[in-house]
Amino acid sequence: MEGQRLTMMGNQAITQGALEAGVRVAAGYPGTPSSEIIQNLAGAADEHGLYVEWSINEKVSLEVAAAASLAGLRSLCAMKQNGVNVASDFLLHLAGSGVRAGMVLVHCDDPGALSSVNEGESRHFARMLELPLLEPSDFQEAKDMTKWAFELSEEIGNLVMLRSVTRLSHASGGVVPGPIPAPGGQARFDHHGSPRDLRHGPVSSAPVGYKHRLQQEKLKRAVELFEDSPFNSYVGPESPELLVITSSICNLYVKEALALLDARDRVGVLKLGTTWPLPPKLLQRHLQRCEQVLVVEEVIPFLEENVKIAAAEMAGEIGAKKFFGKREGTLPAQGELNPDLVLKALAGILDLPYQARPAQYDRLAQELAPQATQDRELAFCPGCPHRASFWSLKEALALDDRDGFICGDIGCYSLAMRPSGYGLLKTLHAMGSGAGMASGFGQLGRFGMDQPVMAVSGDSTFYHAVIPALINAVHQKSPMSLVVLDNSGTAMTGFQPHPGTEANALGQPVPPVDIEAICRSLGAEVTVCDPFDLKATQAAAVGLLADQSTAKVLILRQLCALSPQRKGTKPYEVRVDPEKCLGDQCGCNRLCTRVFGCPGLAWEKESGKARIDEVICAGCGVCASVCPQGAIIISEGA
Amino acid sequence: MITRGPRQLLAEVQQPGLCIGCGSCVELCPYFRSHGGKTVMLHDCDLAEGRCHAWCPKTELDLEGLAQTLWGRPYPAQGMGPHLAVVAAKAGPRLESGSYQGGGTVSALVCAALDEGLVQGAVLTGGQGLQTAPRLAATPEEVIACAGSRFTAAPTLAALNRAQAQGCGSVAVVATPCQAAALAQRRAKPWPQRGAAGPAELVIGLFCNWSLDPQGLASFLAQRVEPREIRSMDIPPPPAGVLKVETGQGSLEIPLDEIRGLIPPACGLCPDMTSEWADLAVGMYEGRPGWNTLVVRNEKARALTEAAVEKGWLVMEKFPAANQEHLLQAAQGKRSRGLSAALAQGLLGGPGDDQPKALRVGSELYKAVENGEVA
Repeated sequence: MEGQRLTMMGNQAITQGALEAGVRVAAGYPGTPSSEIIQNLAGAADEHGLYVEWSINEKVSLEVAAAASLAGLRSLCAMKQNGVNVASDFLLHLAGSGVRAGMVLVHCDDPGALSSVNEGESRHFARMLELPLLEPSDFQEAKDMTKWAFELSEEIGNLVMLRSVTRLSHASGGVVPGPIPAPGGQARFDHHGSPRDLRHGPVSSAPVGYKHRLQQEKLKRAVELFEDSPFNSYVGPESPELLVITSSICNLYVKEALALLDARDRVGVLKLGTTWPLPPKLLQRHLQRCEQVLVVEEVIPFLEENVKIAAAEMAGEIGAKKFFGKREGTLPAQGELNPDLVLKALAGILDLPYQARPAQYDRLAQELAPQATQDRELAFCPGCPHRASFWSLKEALALDDRDGFICGDIGCYSLAMRPSGYGLLKTLHAMGSGAGMASGFGQLGRFGMDQPVMAVSGDSTFYHAVIPALINAVHQKSPMSLVVLDNSGTAMTGFQPHPGTEANALGQPVPPVDIEAICRSLGAEVTVCDPFDLKATQAAAVGLLADQSTAKVLILRQLCALSPQRKGTKPYEVRVDPEKCLGDQCGCNRLCTRVFGCPGLAWEKESGKARIDEVICAGCGVCASVCPQGAIIISEGA
Repeated sequence: MITRGPRQLLAEVQQPGLCIGCGSCVELCPYFRSHGGKTVMLHDCDLAEGRCHAWCPKTELDLEGLAQTLWGRPYPAQGMGPHLAVVAAKAGPRLESGSYQGGGTVSALVCAALDEGLVQGAVLTGGQGLQTAPRLAATPEEVIACAGSRFTAAPTLAALNRAQAQGCGSVAVVATPCQAAALAQRRAKPWPQRGAAGPAELVIGLFCNWSLDPQGLASFLAQRVEPREIRSMDIPPPPAGVLKVETGQGSLEIPLDEIRGLIPPACGLCPDMTSEWADLAVGMYEGRPGWNTLVVRNEKARALTEAAVEKGWLVMEKFPAANQEHLLQAAQGKRSRGLSAALAQGLLGGPGDDQPKALRVGSELYKAVENGEVA
C-alpha cells in the first residue's frame, strides 16, 4: 500500500500518521467523532506491536498515554471535545511538567453537535494551557500532520494538541501512506536526576516558576518552527481585495465557495495548520497584502480573536484592518459551517450576486419530503432495552404521582429527553451529571421539595463518572435512586469495551468489574431486573420511589439490540392475532403504536388493527406485555 | 347525559382533587390505575369519549337523566331515593358470627345472593387497618373475611372491572353512594361494544356521610400509632363523636373534629347519604346495637330479602316510624348540603348548560337550590 493513493476516513488517516510515527501506546475514551482512532489502532496493535486501551475515562487515558511518553515510548490519546474538559486537570499539570517521547492529544470537535449534547470548543485549551495546536485541513494533512506532531512534541519536550472535526474525522479522502517503522522499543522511566532535569529527573509541574518558564520557552520554539511550516499555505493573488484566514475543514468550504463565485482572482486564502501560537512573521506577511480580512472557522472565534490580537500588536507595521467573521455576524456564531454559508459571507463582502439555491427550493423540499420519507422521530432502535426501561419508569413515576423526575446522562438513553423515551429526562448535562444532580435534588426535601428524584446512567457512564456521584449520594444520605441501564457495552459509540466487559480493546480477556458489587460495597441497596420484564421492573421502580430514605440503585440489565451478541438474532417471533386485536374498538386507543411507539409496530389502515413489521421487529417480545388484550403473540425459537 | 374523554376526566376530576378513588375508571383500559389510594393516569389518551368519563361518579353525574332513565321519574328535591320498605335487619343464624359491624346485614345479603345463585361473585372491600383492597368473594367464608367498615374510599369498582373482564358475568357490589352512582351510570349508559365491563347484577349500597382520604389518614395516624399495629377502625354511633382505632396495644379514640380535614372535597359535593342508586341500602341503626337499617329499594331487592330471611341468612323487624323520619332528615340534610355546595362552587348544572359540571339536575330543582329551597 505504501506510496499508493488510498481513500481513507479522516480518523483512519490520523491512525496511519501515528503508526508512521512509530506510536507504541494509545489510549482514549469513546466519543463521536473520535472513536475510530483508538479502534483502528487497537486493530493494528498486533501487527505493529502496540499497547492500546479504552480507558475508564479521558483523564485516565491521558495519564496512561503520558506514562508511556515518560518511559520513552511515543504515545497518542484520543477523545471528543468535551473529553478534554474531563482530562483538563491532568492536562494542565502535564503541560507544566512536559513529556519525553513524542505525545499527541487528538481531540475531535463536533461543530453543530451532530453527535453531542454540546457544541464545545477544545482549541482554547491550547491557549489556556500553553500548548501547541495543529489543525489538519484535509485527509493527507491529517496523516502527515499527526506524524509530524510526534516530532514536534519531542523537539519541544511537550504534548502537542491536534484538533479534528466531525467532517474531517468522518469524511473520506485521498491519502498516500508512508512506511511504518518495525515494532519494538524499550520502555524505561528515568527518575534519578534532579527535579530540574527534564530528561532524567522526577516529573512534575513543580517547581512551578521554573517549569512554567521552560514551558513558555518550548512554546516559543514551536512558534519558530511554525513560521516555516508547510502546513501553513497561501493561495491567491499577490494583493487580493480580501484575505481569508481559515483552518481545518473550513479550508475546503472556502475553496469550493471561491470556485463557485469565480472569485479566486480577487480573494487570497491563508490556510493555517499551526493555529496556536500563531506565527507572527508569517501572519504579518499576509496581513500586509490587503485591508480586509475574513476569518472562517467553526465553533468559537478562536482563530479570529488570535489574529486580531496579533494584528493589533503589529498595527504599526500593517495598519488597521477591517475584519469579518463570527464576532460581527458575517458568519453564524453557532452550528456547523458549509460551503453555502461561506459563499453567502463572501458574496456579501465582495458584493457579488449569488443565490446559494433558488428561493422555492426549501418550500419544495418541505412539500416533497413527507412523500418520500417516513414521518418518524429520532427513536430508540426496535428491541432496544431502553424503551422498555423508560416505559416502566414512566409508569412508576405516574403511579407514584408526586411529580417525580429523572436526571439524565450521556448515552443512547439521552434520547429519553424526546418522545421515544417519553420525554422522561428533565436534566441532561455531562457524563455522570445525572447522578450528581440527583444527589443534590435529593437534599432539597428540607426546603419543601416533595418530588422524588431518579438518575439514569449507562454502564460505561457508570464507570466513567457516576461512581463519585453515587458515593456522594450514599455518604450524604441523599434519598435518590440511580437506575443503571446496563446494556453491556459502550453501545452508542460502537460497543467499545469498558471496565465491565470481559475483553479489552485488544480482545484479550480481562477481569470485569461488577457494577452491582461496586454499588453494594458502597452501602447502597441494589436491585437487579431484566427491563424486558415490565411487571418486575415497574414494581422495583415503584419501590424505589416509595422508599426515599437512602440512595438506592436499580440495575436494569439487558443486552443492546445492536450488540454483537444480539444483532441479527430474534429471541421471539412476534405477531398480532387479528382475532384478539380489537383495533379502535378496544379501549386501548392504540397503546402499542401511539404510546409505546416501537418502530416494529405499525397501525394498518386497511384492517384498523396493529401489525408487526417483520423487517424492523427485533423480536424482543416486550410489546406482548404492553397489549392489554394479549393480542400480540410471541413464540420462541425464531 | 354528557360523556367526554380521559383528558377531560383529568381536568374535571383528578386535577381539582375531586377523585374519590372508587376505581370505576381503573383497569377498563391500560391508562388508569389505582395506587396508594389515588387514581392515576399512566399515559396520555386522547379519545374524545371514554367509559372512564361516562361512568365516573364525580363528573357529569346527571341526577335528572339517571332518575328519568332508571326510575322513570324526575329526581326529586326531597327524599332518600325510591324504596319499597325500610326495615330493621341483622344477620340470621346461618351466618357465623364474624367481625361484622353493626348487624352483619351486608354480609348476610351477599351470602344470600351467592346462595340463591343471583350472582356468581361479590365485589367487596377487604384488607386490614389502613390497607384497604377490593376483593372478589364467591363463598360465605370469603365474604366474612371482608366484613367490617373501612373509612377510606377503596378502588372497589376496579375489582368489578377485573371480574367482568375475566368472564364473571353476574357480580354483586357492596358500594358506597358514590360507587352506587358510578354503577347507576353503567346501567344508564352501558358500553358493551368496548368490552365486558358494565353494570353490576346487584348493588348493595351503604349509608355514608363522608370518607377519609387514605393517604391523609395514613400520615395522620402514623403520627399517633405504628401503622402496622392497626387492626380495625370504627366510628361508634353518636354521641360518641370519635374514630376508634384498635391496635395491638389497645384502642385509641380520635375526636372526629380532628379528622374532618381529611375528608376529601368530593364528599362535600355528594347529595346522597343512603345509596339511592343501589338496589338495597344498609346503614347503622342508631340506638339499637347489633342491628342495621335496611332500605329495600326495588322488587329484586325485596325478593332477595325474602329469600334471605327464609334461608336463615337474615332476620328483619319493623323499623319505627320515628327513626325513619330521623333517617329521612339526615338524608335530606346531606342532599341539601351537597347540592348547595356544588352550586356555590359552580359545579351544579342545569339542562342546556354546556360547561362541565360535577352534578346535573332538572331546571326546577336547579331553581330550588338557587333559591335555598332544598332543605
